[in-house]
Amino acid sequence: MDYARFVALRRPLWDAFEADAAAARRARDLSYAQIEDLALRYRQVLHDHAWARARFPGTGAAQRLLRLAVLGGTVLQREEQESFSLVRFFFHRFPAAVSVHLPWIGVALGLFLVTGLLGIAVAVYEPGVAVAMLGSERVADLHQGRLWTDSLTTTMPPSVSSSFIATNNMSVALTAWAGGALVGLGSLWVAMFNGFMLGAVFGITARYSMAAELATFVVAHGPLELTLIIVCAGAGLGIGVAILRADELPRSVTVPRAAQEALVVLLGCLPWFVLLGIVEGFLSPDPDIPFAWKALLGVALEICFLSPLALGLITRAPGVPRSQELRR
Amino acid sequence: MVSHHDDFSPELGTVLALDNVPVELPVARVGSRVLAAFLDYLVLLVVLIVWTVAVFFLARGLGLRPGWGVAAWLIGAFAIDYGYFAVQEIVFDGRTVGKRVFGLRVVARDGAAAGNGALLVRNLVRTIDVLVGVLLMALDPLSRRLGDRLAGTLVVHQRPTAAEVVLVRLPAGWGAAETRLVESFLRRAPELEAEARVTLGRRLERWVDERAPGFLPGIPGPDPMPRLWRGFREGG
Repeated sequence: MDYARFVALRRPLWDAFEADAAAARRARDLSYAQIEDLALRYRQVLHDHAWARARFPGTGAAQRLLRLAVLGGTVLQREEQESFSLVRFFFHRFPAAVSVHLPWIGVALGLFLVTGLLGIAVAVYEPGVAVAMLGSERVADLHQGRLWTDSLTTTMPPSVSSSFIATNNMSVALTAWAGGALVGLGSLWVAMFNGFMLGAVFGITARYSMAAELATFVVAHGPLELTLIIVCAGAGLGIGVAILRADELPRSVTVPRAAQEALVVLLGCLPWFVLLGIVEGFLSPDPDIPFAWKALLGVALEICFLSPLALGLITRAPGVPRSQELRR
Repeated sequence: MVSHHDDFSPELGTVLALDNVPVELPVARVGSRVLAAFLDYLVLLVVLIVWTVAVFFLARGLGLRPGWGVAAWLIGAFAIDYGYFAVQEIVFDGRTVGKRVFGLRVVARDGAAAGNGALLVRNLVRTIDVLVGVLLMALDPLSRRLGDRLAGTLVVHQRPTAAEVVLVRLPAGWGAAETRLVESFLRRAPELEAEARVTLGRRLERWVDERAPGFLPGIPGPDPMPRLWRGFREGG
């Protein structure tokens, strides 16, 4: 068949497909019959494209058919458009994504605890570490029975410290997540560094019998803050593992898929840092609030974060493959 | 699968779309991407300066206590820093100010529009890409930085979307090469200056008359375009 005849015979089909595919792209919902019809004609376009590409490469018909093939692919593989719902996100989508990352969150938690114990040991048995980590002024404060956190309320207004803490913690969480791109090394570093620092700081304050005061300061915001950072590091590790792991599918497919799942985990964690910034800036340094109330707040925050997760994991439909569940 | 064609500018990278359809995309190379990024960072700097001045005057105008102004600035600066690229790419279909100036656009790896999640992912690792991205782009055949690999995206040159010209009538025995030549000229003719269009049109007219005498209709006049257009597009 020559070019002109091919074009004359098949052009009505291309014109109709282009119009319908463009309309389908704009439409919010498509019926099953519409999709089936479009898919059938998409196959015809693919057939014509393969023929034109082989027989008449680079011609206008081949270029047009390529454009139609891409348009058809875009329309047919479009995911179901659902309006965003906070409830659905935090009770279904976020728990599903966290459940995928549970092993790596466990790894991050384990490393955090081990390096935390190491930090305590180093601080207790190697006093020079205290000065190196905290600085001589802060250690001098500890000598005089004062915690450096006391100055939070005197050196800057709570509004400033609150916003500074919130943005700083978000940066740490983003680093823990993005560190996954370095085959997980960045995520491991954040989990281990934070564990070591916390352990060392507690060890140092324990040497000066100030650990209880430090616990009073951190008990309201600390548990959830560390939970969030560990969860983000676990999500980052998920990306790192996807980069390293050999799968049936190529990495150009598996890595973006893993990154999208890890992104859901990150997006589920970030809003909590705003709340924690307010707690850490306004409530944690307040000496008038007793330890018990701060501890109660810390437990309440942790429950608020974990309960939708637990509920989402428990209520996940039995028998539904995890991969399908994640697409919801 | 990746291939290069040295006879095209910019270089084309071939990727596989749905159903393994090979799509040639005009992949943006490291030079244009670095220039676009440089311009974007300059704009980001200006936005941050404008935000600083705005907060300063707003805080004074509204009589806020000093701490609240600083707090608002910190949160805003954080949002601008992390959101500048991602928000623009999501709202403006894969383009930032820098990409728009240099005619670039982010697309999915199969040439389709990139999803919001992918655009967020590629920008969340920007801090790492500031260190290693240029090297990775220079080494990769599809010029992908770390964020592109993670998100499954590519940055391409935005082509002008002139519709393809498809010939409906051809001299007997003509193959793809002759068809391509005529279609290419007819597609580009409207963009040429009048003098160049007439000169090239006459050369093409002579070329066709030599190979297929009597194929083009006899239309008198100095402009060869009506004759070419009617001969190839309207059936003589």
